[in-house]
Amino acid sequence: MPDNNMTRRKFLATGIGVISGAIALGVGGAAITAVVAPAVTNKREDKWVEAGNADDLVQGQFNKINIAYDAKDAWMEGKIKLLAYVKPDGDNLFALSATCSHLGCNVKFDEQSGKFKCPCHTGVYDATGKNISGPPPKPLSHLEAKIEDGKLFINTGIKEA
Amino acid sequence: MIGRIIDVFDRRFKFKDDFKKNVLDHPVPPRVNFTYCFGGITFLLYVLLLVTGIAAMFFYVPSVEHAFATVEYMTFDLPLGNIIRGIHHWSANLMVVFVCLHMLRVFVYGAYKNPREFHWVSGVFLLGITLAFSFTGYLLPWDQKAYWATKVGVLMPKSIPLVGDFITRLLMGGSDLGALTISRFFAIHVVVLPILTAVFLVAHFLMIRRTGIAKPL
Repeated sequence: MPDNNMTRRKFLATGIGVISGAIALGVGGAAITAVVAPAVTNKREDKWVEAGNADDLVQGQFNKINIAYDAKDAWMEGKIKLLAYVKPDGDNLFALSATCSHLGCNVKFDEQSGKFKCPCHTGVYDATGKNISGPPPKPLSHLEAKIEDGKLFINTGIKEA
Repeated sequence: MIGRIIDVFDRRFKFKDDFKKNVLDHPVPPRVNFTYCFGGITFLLYVLLLVTGIAAMFFYVPSVEHAFATVEYMTFDLPLGNIIRGIHHWSANLMVVFVCLHMLRVFVYGAYKNPREFHWVSGVFLLGITLAFSFTGYLLPWDQKAYWATKVGVLMPKSIPLVGDFITRLLMGGSDLGALTISRFFAIHVVVLPILTAVFLVAHFLMIRRTGIAKPL
């Protein structure tokens, strides 16, 4: 086989290699990107939800606030209901989610003891939301709250633990 | 670097020479033309369908409630999801075209004759499998076109005497085109047919390696 034949073979082999590689990279890359993308793009984002008039809040006390908002989980859409306790203290707002860290029941604020009590498995939290007895493994989630134009807003985008 | 890693394995498995001899530097008869590529192109399209199909399975949910929403999510929200779906869609269409072209070439060249009768037979099975892939895959997006086209398709066998009614019920999973239909079409599309394809494809390829491809006219 003469030498110039070999160069053509090499040229064609390289060409086939490059084209195959490009197809593999393109399709494989697209597939991997699509599969990996949700890990990067699906983040909990701040979502401020209007939760009633600021005038209705009683100073220095835990106010029970019911919030309902639209939520989206990829292709699933639905309404989420959340109970929160908001305590205005001068200009500051202290807000806790009422969702028990154990199995997700709504905790109730007990005025007499000044503690949050869970009706399901007798979990108890103190007034700062710290778990002090019973099965709850973690404190109650703190929520961001603010007052704008006389309305109370709560950030439902709870930060990931 | 990569060459040395390959060499380590080659010392144990001795695949390098075989691969070179049988795949990369395989001798073919003189004067073969581009129509001999149709089979290979079909296989390439099948590989593209496998890769994009696996990626799509990360997102697709085969249920009446979610199927359309998941396809919509994949197409409009997922980064490069429309590319995945697009490649799957077009490869599927082109695969049917190239299977037919491949078959036409083999027929015109008389390449199905002795000693290659069973190459043809396995090829006919692969044609049937390809069409079954198309039919079952068409329903999965669960849009209007998918639903009504499948409705027409599953009702066709009904006109066969005696067994027709049963075949239609077997395809739909009962008397209605619904939840059971989409789940069985999905199972056939992503599990049953790929396994059947692998079996017949291996047979198809091994036989053509034994006999070599037919000489041009």
